[in-house]
Amino acid sequence: MLFRTNPSLGVPIYLQLMDQIRHAIGTGALRPGEQLPGIRPVAEELVINPNTVAKAYRELEHEGVLELRHGSGAFVSENAGAKNVTDKLRAGQAIVATAIERLRARGVSNEEIRRLVEAELSGLRKTGGRSA
Amino acid sequence: MPESWAIETTELRKSYGSTEVLRGLNLQVSRGSIHGFLGKNGAGKTTTIKTLLGMTHASGEARVLGLGAGDPTAGVEIRRRTGFVSEDKDLLDYMTIDQIVRFTASFYPRWRSDLQQHYLQAFELPVERKVKALSRGMRTKLALMLAFCRGAELLILDEPTSGLDPAMIEEVLQSIVRHVSREELTVFFSSHLIAEVEQIADHVTIIDRGRTVIAGALDDLRERYCRVQLVFDGEAPHPVFRANGIVRVNRQGRVLSVLAAGDRDAVLEEARALGPASVDVMPVNLKEIFLETVTSEE
Amino acid sequence: MLWYKTWLETRLRFLVGLAVLLCSAAGVVLQYPRVVELLGQMPAVSLGGEIGRRVQEAVEHSRHYRSYVWSQGFRQNLAQMGTLFAVVLGTGVFFHFSRGAALYTLSLPVSRSRLLGVRAATGLAQWLAMALLPSLLIAVLSPTVGQSFGLVDALAHGLCLFFAGAVFFSLTVLLSTLFAVVWRPLLLALLAAVVLSIPDQVGAGWSRYSLSGLMSGEAFFRTGRMPWLGLFAAASLSAALLYGAARNFARRDF
Repeated sequence: MLFRTNPSLGVPIYLQLMDQIRHAIGTGALRPGEQLPGIRPVAEELVINPNTVAKAYRELEHEGVLELRHGSGAFVSENAGAKNVTDKLRAGQAIVATAIERLRARGVSNEEIRRLVEAELSGLRKTGGRSA
Repeated sequence: MPESWAIETTELRKSYGSTEVLRGLNLQVSRGSIHGFLGKNGAGKTTTIKTLLGMTHASGEARVLGLGAGDPTAGVEIRRRTGFVSEDKDLLDYMTIDQIVRFTASFYPRWRSDLQQHYLQAFELPVERKVKALSRGMRTKLALMLAFCRGAELLILDEPTSGLDPAMIEEVLQSIVRHVSREELTVFFSSHLIAEVEQIADHVTIIDRGRTVIAGALDDLRERYCRVQLVFDGEAPHPVFRANGIVRVNRQGRVLSVLAAGDRDAVLEEARALGPASVDVMPVNLKEIFLETVTSEE
Repeated sequence: MLWYKTWLETRLRFLVGLAVLLCSAAGVVLQYPRVVELLGQMPAVSLGGEIGRRVQEAVEHSRHYRSYVWSQGFRQNLAQMGTLFAVVLGTGVFFHFSRGAALYTLSLPVSRSRLLGVRAATGLAQWLAMALLPSLLIAVLSPTVGQSFGLVDALAHGLCLFFAGAVFFSLTVLLSTLFAVVWRPLLLALLAAVVLSIPDQVGAGWSRYSLSGLMSGEAFFRTGRMPWLGLFAAASLSAALLYGAARNFARRDF
């Protein structure tokens, strides 16, 4: 299956799922117009609450990433900004690569790098870095 | 008019002799949710559940599906609309699987024969075998099946995975999730294993010593709680935090660890004001919330 | 299917008890020729005291078939063993020897009063069979030893046995709602039975008014009239005990 969630991370499962779907779109694993697996199969496969999957899909619909067609299921938006996302991710990848190289040059370990990023993201989230 | 809460208790109290098991327990379970009921062994989970089903009498108020659990007549109606699996998977040992299925079905006008067929096959239950001859895993599956097929609006499961090996635990969780995704109902399950609650619940109530200590949507809790870790150059200070929502402060050598819920900015501000060498903000999972909250309760 | 379940839970006890009582009743009848033979061979013994009186009484009763049947059958065997089985029928009422079964049953949409009602009714019906059938068997078998015992008489004794024994059944059911352990109600009820039979041993004149006197149908034996008052008293007592059991059961925590 495309997605993998970890309930013990302390990060809401629906957020993990949203990230994974965005990532799948960004890398082209899911294409614009393509249908996502249904809520029920995803929940049963991952053994998580179907409400959680539903929430992830709904949030992504708000963001315009997905289209929920009544009766048919969830589809990747035509203008999921997929191409933008891909470009965004590629550019982002370059920035991250540079930053990590510089941190490693200072003797920062991988684990520490991860922690720094987490800290920044946590701070960002609280101050409304995420759209409501 | 449908009640908004599937389960609601107000100031539930119960003593066995001189031991107070429930000390004013307040609980609210919304319809359609999968609600985890967490607590250490002996915290009062089973007593609460038994009260909801009319097996035990407690003072205070308990309502299930809008009906009063303490009233005998209402209790019958509650049990007609509820599926229950006890902690020990209590069944009628002297019956065969076929007998107990037919026996149970006779009490439920909304019995689902389609599900009965489905689960007998899916769980591979040998219908001619006596219940007492079943392995623990099969017993659990039978108990679950009998609860699922009642056409119930509410499932109450007391430690559904207790005594099972990890593979079977996963199977049980799978079947619960599968059932929930196909039927519209509320699931209320108790557990002292946090992992399974975290996996499938969307709401959680944590109780300790007969009282509710934390209740809310699991995602809310995950977003609200965080751990702020401060490392100092010298000995960590003994801070007095004025911000709201500090659950626990651990001090060990040069490290100060703060478990906070709520106003993160205020906590961070005060934390930074202490002049640490580094500030780390980390997510907190349910296990940490549980351990810190339950053991720090006075 | 509550009745079916209750039958499953109690059928072994019932069938074993019925078989034992039937055999006992048959034994009483079929042994009569031998008893008569022994009597003829026995010298005229005169022992003193209470034992002597009893031996004399037993010998007297054995001279006539009807009194033999009453004394050996109804007063002795059936009453004593019957009491035991009535008590056994009343035990394990709410646990069926395992707590688990109680929890499962209590999770069903059935009121506690209905649970107790079905259990009590089943037990009483089983006890009725255990009281009537052996008695009727005596009437049916008597011709085989050249004697006769009226069906009506058998029925009368059977009913007396039923009503008196029902008191012990109901007592055991009540005790079962008080104790979580299965054997304690059984022991206490049997103890009560023993205690209640003491007046019998002591005062010969009062026995027809005691519970065991009722059980053996002594009044009917001696006067040919049914002890309606005694039957009514026993029925009322049973009802009261069962009512108490229902109240207890409703209040009990599991």
